[in-house]
Amino acid sequence: MIRIDNLHKSFKTKTGTVHAVKGVGFEARDGEITGLLGPNGAGKTTTLRMLYTLMKPDQGRIEVDGVDVARDPTAVRQRLGVLPDARGVYKRLSARENIEYFGRLHGIDEATIQARIASMARTLVMEDFLERRTEGFSQGQRTKTAIARALVHDPRNVILDEPTNGLDVMTTRGLRGFLRGLREEGRCVIFSSHIMQEVAALCDRIVVIAHGQVRAIGTPDQLREQTGLPDLEDVFVRLADLEGEAA
Amino acid sequence: MKAVWTVARKELLDLFRDRKTMMLGLLLGPVVLPALILGMGALAEKKMRTQLESTLELPVIGAEHAPNLIAFLKGRNIEARPAPEHPDQAVRDQTFDVVLKIDEAYGEQWRGSKPAAVELIYDSSRQDSQIPVNRLRGVLLEYSRTVGVLRGINRGVSPEAGFAVEIGQRDVATPEARRGMLLAFLPYMLILFSFLGGAALVIDVTAGERERQSLEPLLATPAPRAAIMSGKILAACLFGMLSLLLIVIAFKLSFQLAPGPLQLIDVSAPVMAQLLLVLLPMVLIGTTLLTLIAASVKSVKEAQSYMSILMFLPIVPTILLMVNPIKNQLWQFAVPFLAQNQMLLKLVRSEAISAQEWAVYLGAGFGLGLVLWLLAARLYNQERLAISA
Repeated sequence: MIRIDNLHKSFKTKTGTVHAVKGVGFEARDGEITGLLGPNGAGKTTTLRMLYTLMKPDQGRIEVDGVDVARDPTAVRQRLGVLPDARGVYKRLSARENIEYFGRLHGIDEATIQARIASMARTLVMEDFLERRTEGFSQGQRTKTAIARALVHDPRNVILDEPTNGLDVMTTRGLRGFLRGLREEGRCVIFSSHIMQEVAALCDRIVVIAHGQVRAIGTPDQLREQTGLPDLEDVFVRLADLEGEAA
Repeated sequence: MKAVWTVARKELLDLFRDRKTMMLGLLLGPVVLPALILGMGALAEKKMRTQLESTLELPVIGAEHAPNLIAFLKGRNIEARPAPEHPDQAVRDQTFDVVLKIDEAYGEQWRGSKPAAVELIYDSSRQDSQIPVNRLRGVLLEYSRTVGVLRGINRGVSPEAGFAVEIGQRDVATPEARRGMLLAFLPYMLILFSFLGGAALVIDVTAGERERQSLEPLLATPAPRAAIMSGKILAACLFGMLSLLLIVIAFKLSFQLAPGPLQLIDVSAPVMAQLLLVLLPMVLIGTTLLTLIAASVKSVKEAQSYMSILMFLPIVPTILLMVNPIKNQLWQFAVPFLAQNQMLLKLVRSEAISAQEWAVYLGAGFGLGLVLWLLAARLYNQERLAISA
């Protein structure tokens, strides 16, 4: 269960201050996949970075399973499985060693780590390349390794920043199946993407973000109803006010 | 604490799988430095031996005026040769190291038992000509004295009456100077290697990891950032010490094999162990300083630009000491680089290091390392550290 309330964040750049996130707030429930939908530069990644304690919000409050992020960031990080925008697997380590490394940093004992790797390798279909060094991995193999690494500690809450970026159809399908599995297990999953179809195919609820603000929250059907548009892409374009931008 | 070790182990595994970098970092020093020492030692040794022991071919002007002297020189392995037309120019052109000019009045003065004039033509600014000039001067003095004594005896004067003062000399300058030159440069090399030996690794594990975008997931784990950073510093220190150990072993072997005075340097195991202990704070200071730099810059390239300045730092005290030699004082053992320099010189010269000096040295060294570590930890906790894009 993740609760985000009135989040603000701005950055100083050479040309002035950029207000990247302006009052974002939503709730992601257990046993649901929450989609964070927005165009590039909408503030999705910044919001998620504040959620997984990499950045401090200028204002606002985040709670993970009732734990305040500002008060106990370590406890929050223990409850989160994070696949950041930056995947960065270590290329001179094998997929297994990459996952083991993070397992140890989470303070899990070796037996549990090995059991978790075995089960995740099965569900993510990565047994073929588990012992290979990640140098020369395909995008899909790298993403799978990064996901397994993020989930090695069996977290209740899973945050994935654009996980399907650069993946082919079959890998994307496999990944969707995996995420549905996480939902069935009663976990809270947040999934960010800039592709409406992607989000619609998977998410129970969608949070549309544009220009650092939440534009709409609801199920795909509710969003269609709200805009009166049948096509999901049109719904997204309307909600995110992308037409006005292009014009 | 467990996280520190986990990170250190992973970084070392990662590094040792990068065979080329590892071999260069680990073996370059131990191979190049001894080669330099042995090569230089052998070269200097050979040169000196040639100049001291081979026949010195000496151009003599007016050799016909002093056949006895020429014969005496020959007995001392100095062979007279016909002189060039313009002796001054020939010496200046470095055709000859030294030319002997025997005055035309030599024979007359000799017979009149007056001091007979001879002249040495040489270039004092040429280091190379020192040995032959001194050799010739020594032989001429010997000749003058021998003849003087004989004249005294002939006249019934005690030969000792001719010498109001007897100056005894023991020339230890040449081997000592050569050792001194080498000793001035040895601490620099050791300090440089301990200071920056692990630089590639240190920069890579912070700035490089950020560029490869693996720092963000790493910092999203519950392991404290200070622990992650400490693990990286620990890995770099272990690697640095390993490379230093190899260098020290290589030094030990090369000093034992080296010709001449280098063999006098004490390379026993306890001294080598103390050498490593002296360099340990330097490894820590270098690693933490580079971590500090790597955490504050935007890219690996930027971090590497600092290297040329850093490489210059360890040579500063060496130059200062060359220009302005100062006696050992306690405060010197607290100044980074200077302290290492003094400690290393004491060690290789087999001078005693007092407990107080050790305490000040180690206290200041590790103290500075700790301060840099704390500063680096502060930078590591800044949020911009993790953000790669």
